[in-house]
Amino acid sequence: MERVIVSMQDPDQGVKMRSQRLLITAIPHAVAGETRGHPGGAGRRGLRPLRLSRAGRDVVEWLVQKFCISEEEALHLGTLLAQHGYIYPLHESRDLTLRPDETPYRFQTPYFWTSTLWPAAELDYAIYLAKKNIQKQGALVDYEKEHYTQLHKKINHAWDLVVMQAREQLRAAKQRRKGDRLVISCQEQTYWLVNRPPPGVPNILEQGPERGSYNSSRVQMSSDFYKCEIERFRKALGRNRVKSSVCLEAYLKFSSQHGPHDPILSGCLPSNPWITDDVTYWAMNAPKVAAPTKLRVERWSFSFRELLDDPVGRGHFMDFLQKEFSAENLSFWEACEELRFGGQAQVPALVDAVYQQFLAPGAARWVNIDSRTMEWTLEGMRQPHRYVLDAAQLHIYMLMKKDSYPRFLKSDIYKGLLEEAVIPLETKRRAFPFLRKPLHSSPSPVLQSTPEEPAVTSTPAGGNGKQ
Amino acid sequence: MAREECKALLDALNKTTACYHHLVLTVGGSADTQDLREELQKTRQKARELAVATGARLTVALRDRGLATEERAEFERLWVAFSGCLDLLEADMQRSLTLGAAFPLHAPRRPLVRTGVAGGSSAVAARALSARSLRHEAEGDFDVADLPELEREVLQVGKMIDDMEMKVNVPRWSVQARQAAGAELLSGASAGASSAGGISVQERPGPCDPSKALAATVFSAVLLVAVALALCVAKLS
Repeated sequence: MERVIVSMQDPDQGVKMRSQRLLITAIPHAVAGETRGHPGGAGRRGLRPLRLSRAGRDVVEWLVQKFCISEEEALHLGTLLAQHGYIYPLHESRDLTLRPDETPYRFQTPYFWTSTLWPAAELDYAIYLAKKNIQKQGALVDYEKEHYTQLHKKINHAWDLVVMQAREQLRAAKQRRKGDRLVISCQEQTYWLVNRPPPGVPNILEQGPERGSYNSSRVQMSSDFYKCEIERFRKALGRNRVKSSVCLEAYLKFSSQHGPHDPILSGCLPSNPWITDDVTYWAMNAPKVAAPTKLRVERWSFSFRELLDDPVGRGHFMDFLQKEFSAENLSFWEACEELRFGGQAQVPALVDAVYQQFLAPGAARWVNIDSRTMEWTLEGMRQPHRYVLDAAQLHIYMLMKKDSYPRFLKSDIYKGLLEEAVIPLETKRRAFPFLRKPLHSSPSPVLQSTPEEPAVTSTPAGGNGKQ
Repeated sequence: MAREECKALLDALNKTTACYHHLVLTVGGSADTQDLREELQKTRQKARELAVATGARLTVALRDRGLATEERAEFERLWVAFSGCLDLLEADMQRSLTLGAAFPLHAPRRPLVRTGVAGGSSAVAARALSARSLRHEAEGDFDVADLPELEREVLQVGKMIDDMEMKVNVPRWSVQARQAAGAELLSGASAGASSAGGISVQERPGPCDPSKALAATVFSAVLLVAVALALCVAKLS
């Protein structure tokens, strides 16, 4: 920021300076010519020498020209400059923002620049407040008054010095011309507005939460680093990317297929237990129920995964496979699942058992795996772990999916199941809604945790229920 | 008496520090000239002399074991004020060193910031040195030659502070300031009311707003004069 400000000062290429004429004195280097020469006053006192200033608009224009950026960006940059106290407005001196119109601004003296980051000491602030107190005869702004009393308590021991310095600094300032004095007091005020912002104004100098980890582990910018980066980006380029149109199509298909099955979107029969307190819905859709609902049976036709995930479906599929004499596939698949999700201690034993039963040549229930998969599996079985049979399992899964599953869907078993499936009736709505059973809130967990005090808790429960 | 002497010296040091602070404010701005740098150097020298003298006196007084508690408290208060003043001076000197190096005058590596301060600061320096007026004898590249000396002086002041801390042990927290919270208003009002009255009237509506009150009084005065003239004319005719 400093460099921007300094380049603004360049007499040839810098920002246009204009003069501001005030009533009594004119302050140079102020913002674009808001001339306020009152004829009467000017006539009586005579015009003091003009002081130069800049307009907010000029600043923005200059920034746009110099850095070839858009006007919005220039405005933002200018606002940052103003907020950090490098330029300050002359009229509403408490509001440090850049406005792209004719409002005048002026540069801050380098002593008060924030780039130097000299910490603004409490003693200095106390001296400033004391000076302001003297000048305004005690009429400080609220937050300043608060700070004043706080500082008086904090650095009480140095208060003599504060008072002495404040008085002396004011007397020293009096030796200057009036215009200079005004400028210097403006500058100081801006400095303290930035360093001790009034309540409600964000503190510009705050660093925010420490982001140390990113900076501290800065890698060396060596050729190795760049080689790794290049490799990484090359791999990222080669990644498989799906077109969003394809994705969205699949998504739409899924939604339309599963839409009627969703209890919230399409309502659930017989009735939503959460609303009517009727748990028939859950009872009918229990994992292992003798008579599955029609929706459930329909869902088995969506994908093989759905069929296998549903215990009832899996059972029926197993029956079908037994008729087709290929039940060992499903058994093998189930055994592999057990291996994957089972206990760690049983892994070696289980691998052996599965091998003996399904994979060994001449086994009782031999599954048909291609030779390469068999080789991999045998190699992996030297050090058995829970994922050693993954390749074989996947092979069998794909086999079932491509072969047995479509036949199952076309089979008589499935068609019979579809016909037998139950469509639950919706519960009849009562004619008079207020005759419906009153809704009970679920029993309080307190009841369940203290079963030995039924007498005491029953009355509160009854009270709760009646609400 | 030793106490009055110390107080007088401390006041002088205080005044010089305030003037120095005021001068350093304008370094790098539009009023930065070789004269300013020279004034800074002279003020600095005066401040250092005063500091050394005050320090010596206070050290002597505080190392005196046979001092009454009341007197001791008084001297401790003066000591705290003195060390604070020295800290301010050192900070200002350090800043003027940095700024002076960053804004050299003779071959402008960077142009000076146009801050709007255009007047001379010789009156301030004169006040600091308690002289009537100041003669400027600066050569063309005074500021560059001055910088190494300034650096040395900064280090000297730092060393002086350390030495004095070593010699005299005054805990800061035990010192009770004599001035109350609004003390500067009491005596400041009387001394500054007459001369500061004009300024405060100007400052209150904001230094950058035209003074509407003054305009209104001027207008009403003109109106009254016109009315009086009309009455006179009416009487005469």
